[in-house]
Amino acid sequence: MTELATMDLHPQPQAGEARPWAFPAPGRGTLDNGLTVLRCHRPGQQVVAVEVLLDAPLDAEPAGLDGVATIMARAFSEGTDKHSAEDFAAELERCGATLDAHADHPGVRISLEVPVSRLPKALGLLADALRAPAFADGEVERLVRNRLDEIPHELASPARRAAKELSKELFPADSRMSRPRQGTEETVAAIDSAAVRAFYEKHVRPATATVVVVGDLTDVDLDALLGDTLGAWTGSPAEPRPVPPVTADDTGRVVIVDRPGAVQTQLLIGRVGPDRHDRVWPAQVLGTYCLGGTLTSRLDRVLREEKGYTYGVRAFGQVLRSAPEGTGASLLAISGSVDTPNTGPALADLWTVLRTLAEGGLTDAERDVAVQNLVGVAPLKYETAAAVAGTLADQVEQHLPDDYQATLYRQLAGTGTVEATAAAVNAFPVDRLVTVLVGDAAQIEAPVAALGIGEVTVVRAE
Amino acid sequence: MPMGHTATAEAGSGGLTATEHRLANGLRVVLSEDHLTPVAAVCLWYDVGSRHEVKGRTGLAHLFEHLMFQGSGQVKGNGHFELVQGAGGSLNGTTSFERTNYFETMPAHQLELALWLEADRMGSLLAALDEESMENQRDVVKNERRQRYDNVPYGTAFEKLTALAYPEGHPYHHTPIGSMADLDAATLEDARAFFRTYYAPNNAVLSVVGDIDPEQTLAWIEKYFGSIPGHDGKPEPRDGSLPDVIGEELREVVEEEVPARALMAAYRLPEDGTRACDAADLALTVLGGGESSRLYNRLVRRDRTAVAAGFGLLRLAGAPSLGWLDVKTSGDVEVPVIEAAVDEELARFAEEGPTAEEMERAQAQLEREWLDRLGTVAGRADELCRYAVLFGDPQLALTAVQRVLEVTAEEVQEIAKARLRPDNRAVLVYEPVAAEEDAPQQAAATAEATDENEEPAK
Repeated sequence: MTELATMDLHPQPQAGEARPWAFPAPGRGTLDNGLTVLRCHRPGQQVVAVEVLLDAPLDAEPAGLDGVATIMARAFSEGTDKHSAEDFAAELERCGATLDAHADHPGVRISLEVPVSRLPKALGLLADALRAPAFADGEVERLVRNRLDEIPHELASPARRAAKELSKELFPADSRMSRPRQGTEETVAAIDSAAVRAFYEKHVRPATATVVVVGDLTDVDLDALLGDTLGAWTGSPAEPRPVPPVTADDTGRVVIVDRPGAVQTQLLIGRVGPDRHDRVWPAQVLGTYCLGGTLTSRLDRVLREEKGYTYGVRAFGQVLRSAPEGTGASLLAISGSVDTPNTGPALADLWTVLRTLAEGGLTDAERDVAVQNLVGVAPLKYETAAAVAGTLADQVEQHLPDDYQATLYRQLAGTGTVEATAAAVNAFPVDRLVTVLVGDAAQIEAPVAALGIGEVTVVRAE
Repeated sequence: MPMGHTATAEAGSGGLTATEHRLANGLRVVLSEDHLTPVAAVCLWYDVGSRHEVKGRTGLAHLFEHLMFQGSGQVKGNGHFELVQGAGGSLNGTTSFERTNYFETMPAHQLELALWLEADRMGSLLAALDEESMENQRDVVKNERRQRYDNVPYGTAFEKLTALAYPEGHPYHHTPIGSMADLDAATLEDARAFFRTYYAPNNAVLSVVGDIDPEQTLAWIEKYFGSIPGHDGKPEPRDGSLPDVIGEELREVVEEEVPARALMAAYRLPEDGTRACDAADLALTVLGGGESSRLYNRLVRRDRTAVAAGFGLLRLAGAPSLGWLDVKTSGDVEVPVIEAAVDEELARFAEEGPTAEEMERAQAQLEREWLDRLGTVAGRADELCRYAVLFGDPQLALTAVQRVLEVTAEEVQEIAKARLRPDNRAVLVYEPVAAEEDAPQQAAATAEATDENEEPAK
C-alpha cells in the first residue's frame, strides 16, 4: 500500500450543474416536386450530412431478383446524364465528399457528407444521380460481378455468416427477411441494367422520398440551393407502399454452422420483438442495456470480467422495419465470440444470467445507472451532423414523429425498475431464443447439446 | 505551478486555439475551449507503446492498458467504467506502436469526475492491481486477439506484413496485440514494473477540450494530479530509424483458408511529422484512396481483376511510416496479373506525377478527414495529445490540414519516385486452400484485412 501514500487523496467530486441540452427539432417542408425536406442547423459542424430516403424497400424487389435494390443503390454513383462513372466519382471526391448508398428492408438510404463550402456542388451531383442515373449496361454488369465476388468474403466472416443463418431460421421462407439483404449468388447473377432501371422507375420518385440536411447552415440559402438541385428531380405522384406484417418462429433451438478449426465460436442469439411504436420500447431499451449494453452490464460482468471467455458480448434491439399502424418489428439479439473450449460453459453462464434476471429482476441501482448513461450521453452522441441526420432519417423511415428522440429521453427518465425488468425478461425469454453458433462443430456440438437450450442441428460449411 | 500562454488562432486552424501548461511534476496539459455543445473531452497520452516492449513480452503495453480499467486506489473493480458511464460519459483506451491513450467524453458538468479518475489510476494503480485482474484480463486479451485477428480471414495480415517490413529486433517488428505465448508469459510483476517505469506524470500529456472554464479546469488538474510524483529512468525505446528504402523486395506467400487471392504490400515511407510524409499521404490518396483513384479505376473499373483495391497510410513518428496496399482479386484472377498492373500504375505515376485535378481531389479528401477528426471534442483532444507527445507541440494539430494543402505536385511526384518502388516494399500474397487440405491446427479464416494498429480496451 506504499503506492497509495505518495499522492494526496481527494474524495470523489460531485457533478456540477448540468447545462441544458435537447435533441434538436428539425424544420420540415416540401419542395414543389413533392420531396419532403427536414433541415437542422448545427453550429460549428463544418461537415454537412445529407440523408436521402427512398421508398424502395427490399420486399418490392421482383421475385428472383434479390439484390436489385442494392445494385441500384450502388449504381447511383456510377454515372449520370452529365458524367461518366469515373467522372462522377472524381467530381464527388473533388468536393471532399463521401457518398454511400445501401438498401435495407425499409428502403434505400443514400448518405452524403461534405464540407459546407462545397455543399452546393455535391448536392448538384446527388440530384443528378437521383434525377438521371445512367445505369449503363457495362457499369451495372461490373457492379453485379463485384457483388458476386463479395459474397464469399461475407460467408467467411463469422459475424456475417451468423446473421445470415439467423435470418433464415427466424423468418418464413417466403418472407424477404429470411433471405440475404444483398441477394444470393443465384439472384444477383440474374440482375442486369434493365432490371435496375425497371426497379428505379417503379419505386424511385421525389413524392415518396425525404431528404434530411444537417450541419452549420449559417451561410447557406438552403431553399434556393435545394430548389436548384433536388428541386429539379421530377416523377409521378404515388402512395407509399403498404408494409407487410412481420412473422417469425422463435421456438428455442440451436443451429451450429460448422467452421472446422475455428478458435472461437461466434454467437448470435435472437428473436423478434416490438419496435419503437410499442409503448414498451423505452423500458426495453433500458432493460436490454442492463442485460448487455456495456462492459459493466450483466452479461459481460460474468462472461468477460469474471470468466474471461470473451472480449465482449452485447445485447441489443435493432428495428427491422416499422409501419405507421404499428405492425413493425425489431430484432432482439445477443452477440459476441467466445473461445472454442469454453463455448459450452459460456452459454451455460449466459442462460444463467437470463434466468437470474427473470427470477430476481433488475436492481434500482442498475436501472439508475442505465438511465443516467442512456440519457446523459445524448449530447456526446449527437455532437456530429452525421449522427443527428442519421437519427432524423431513422425516425422518418420508421414512421415516427420528428420529436420522437426528444420524447424518448423523457420516457427513459420516467421508466422504473419493474417496467425495465419486465421488458428485458419478455425480450429475452429463455425458451424462445434461436441460437446460431458459427464454430467448430466437432468440438462444440456435444457440450451445447448437453445444455438443454433447444434441439441442435449442424449446417456444414459451404 | 502551472504556467501557460494563451494562443491566438493561427491561420488555417479554423479558429481553434489551445493553451499549454506544465505542472511541477512534469505533467503537460493542453486546454482548448469550445462552448457549442455542453460536453468536455479528457484525453491522456502516455508516451509508451509496443515499441517499448522487450523480447518475450510482446503485448504487455496493451495488456497493461486493460489493467488500467480494473480499479485503482480509490476506485473499486470496474469503477472507472461504472462511474463514467453512470455520469453519462463514454470512455476507452487504445494501445499503438508509439503510445497508449485513455479518454473520456463527458457531459461538461461531469468533467471533474473524469479528471479525478485519471489522476487516481496514474497515482495509485498498484494499490488495486492484483493477480485476479491479471489472470482475467489475460484471458480477455487473448480472446480479443482471437476475435480480431486469428478467427477472421486475412486477420493476421497486418502482423505478418509488419514483421516483414521491419527487421527482426526492430522495435516495430511486432504489433501491439502481441503473441499468445508472450501474453501467457507476462506476470503480475511485469505489469507492476511496467507501471513504475512508464506511468509517470512527466511521461504523459493531458488534454481537455470542450465546454470548459480553463482556469477552473487547470485548478482541478493541479488539485488531482499535482501531488503525483514524477520520476525519471524510463528507458528510451530502441532506435527505430532505418534506411530510406529497403533495397529489395521482401516477400511471403501465405496459403490459408481465405475466400480469395489477395495481394498486400507495405512500402517504406517517411516518418510522420515531415512534409515528405504529407506528400506521401497525397500520393497514396491519388493512387489508392476512394473510388476515383488510379488503382481503383484500373483494377476494379477497367481491368475488373479486383473486388477492392486501395492504399492506406500508417503514420509513424519513431520509425518509417508504411504505405499499405490491399487488393482482393476477382474470380480466378492470379496475383501476378494484379501485381503487373500495380507496378505499371506506380511507375506511370512516378513518371508523370499527379495531375492538377488529382491534387485537388486528394487535398479535398484529406481536408475533409481532418475536419471530421477536429469536428468532435474527443477527436480534437486526441490530436492535441498526439502532436504534443510525438512532436512536442500541440499547436501543430490545429494547422496540420494547412500543411497538407501546401504540398506541391512536384513533391508528391518526388516521393512516389523515390519510395513507391518494388525494391522498397514487403509483399504478402494470399493463396486460398480448401478447408479439407488444410490441417486446421490453428485455423486461419476469413474476411477483410485490417490495417488496425490500435487495441481498444473495450
